[in-house]
Amino acid sequence: MSTQYNIPVGAQHISLLEPLHFKFTTENEKIIKTEANVGYVHRGIEQACCSKFKFRQVSFVVGRVCGLCSISHTTCYSQVAEKLLKLDIPKRAKYLRMLVIELDRIHSHLLCLSHVAENSGFEALFMKTMRHREFSMELLEAVCGNRIQYDFSIIGGVARDLRTDVAQSILDKFKIFRPQLDELVDIYKTNWSLSLKNKGIGVLSKEDAIRLNVVGPFARASGLGVDVRNETEELLPWKEVGFEIITDTAGDVHARNMVRLKEIYVSMKIIENIINGLPEGDLISDTKAFPEGEAVNRIEAPRGELFYYAKGNKTQVLERLKIKAPTFSNIPAMVETFTNNEYASVPAIIGSYDPCLSCTSR
Amino acid sequence: MQVYLPLSVLMIRACHALQDKFQIEIMKTFFKTIGNLFKKPATIPFPAAPTYKPDDYRGLIVFDESLCIWCRRCETVCPPGAIVFSQNITDGKQTYHYSPYVCIYCQECVRTCPKQGCLIQSAEPGHPATKEHDVNNVWNKLFADSLESRVTYAAEKKKQQAAAKANPQS
Repeated sequence: MSTQYNIPVGAQHISLLEPLHFKFTTENEKIIKTEANVGYVHRGIEQACCSKFKFRQVSFVVGRVCGLCSISHTTCYSQVAEKLLKLDIPKRAKYLRMLVIELDRIHSHLLCLSHVAENSGFEALFMKTMRHREFSMELLEAVCGNRIQYDFSIIGGVARDLRTDVAQSILDKFKIFRPQLDELVDIYKTNWSLSLKNKGIGVLSKEDAIRLNVVGPFARASGLGVDVRNETEELLPWKEVGFEIITDTAGDVHARNMVRLKEIYVSMKIIENIINGLPEGDLISDTKAFPEGEAVNRIEAPRGELFYYAKGNKTQVLERLKIKAPTFSNIPAMVETFTNNEYASVPAIIGSYDPCLSCTSR
Repeated sequence: MQVYLPLSVLMIRACHALQDKFQIEIMKTFFKTIGNLFKKPATIPFPAAPTYKPDDYRGLIVFDESLCIWCRRCETVCPPGAIVFSQNITDGKQTYHYSPYVCIYCQECVRTCPKQGCLIQSAEPGHPATKEHDVNNVWNKLFADSLESRVTYAAEKKKQQAAAKANPQS
């Protein structure tokens, strides 16, 4: 038996976007065991939501859980609060919520892709992807008024209307972005140097994906078609705006890149459909009721299924709010997927998980 | 000689490149890189040139005292506690305080305000607080003092009312 070495990565490391600690046990450069610690950014948000803030203010607090999927958190909380208030929201508000969620997905996926490229050692592709990502940030700023942490969904509807000139600028910028995205797909698909670090690396089989309960693009790259948008039409009419599920079979880093890139095309199609068929009507339906009872809600964040549980007791302050972030569901699979890979592949694999630790530990 | 040597090396390299598919790619990238040197940068030279800002940007909150009905609803709904009303103990006049460094520009106060135009969200972006502003001590103290001033005024008023009730002639 050869010597085993323990290599710690994190909590602060050059290849990590957020504090995350891995302890790898390696043997001849091969990883044989991994341990993960994810609780470095605990901020006590759940407790704050149930004590300091009133239930209408909580939608702004949960928007600060994560900078990348801020709108998913706000929308998911707004929906769960609407369930507690037994409130039905206007159709225009639903469409605008979907619009911002999909714009957010474009920028989040492009960020993840650039991060994978950087961690694979392809710095130029990182720059290129980040440059092309900038348009989505500008569009989000034009639609929501804020560049990040949009505060767009509020209880009962949305905070702002979509102006016609902004809608037109979205369509115009998509026309510029589509050939750029085609070029990116070509590079991610065919680049030989990138394929050495991505193809056949960090493979998660479909059986393992089912056994370990994986969600999001991570699961879809393994051939497991889980997507909340595909499962429920209860609160947001995804099928109506042309949603289709994207899956891949290989389950490696390359497959995850491909799933994310194809999902950007689907998101762009959804946004175009929303803008072309935006229904008229109010933005907010209001009520003076207080939250009562229990409710759960799920939404497809860029990283997978986001789950909210809320309990109200007919007062201004919620009794309990529970957030289950997609990365939390993926940790067992993350730890297992490293096994039998080279230690040098670790940064690329971590990037392909797209971990969001501030969501996970809140 | 100094000029021709790298060129000839480049020529030999180019001949070899033709034999290999991947090396053609490398040559393409090489010429592309040379071409990129003469392109405009994709970034904005930020402090010198302005960044993108939409005209309905969510900026600082502007308060119009002449329209205010002193209902204090904006203070109640503000998520971070960036608005507070203090009260003068002698004549009961209220004063509006707003911290641009605590504000998150969520527009909740503007939506809840019953008087149209009293609170407006301007497009002027807020600036980050620096050490001189000392947000934690200055604003938090002002917030606590304002709440206390209202409590004191209410207690004072109650005392006066009780005195007036006990002695109706005076």
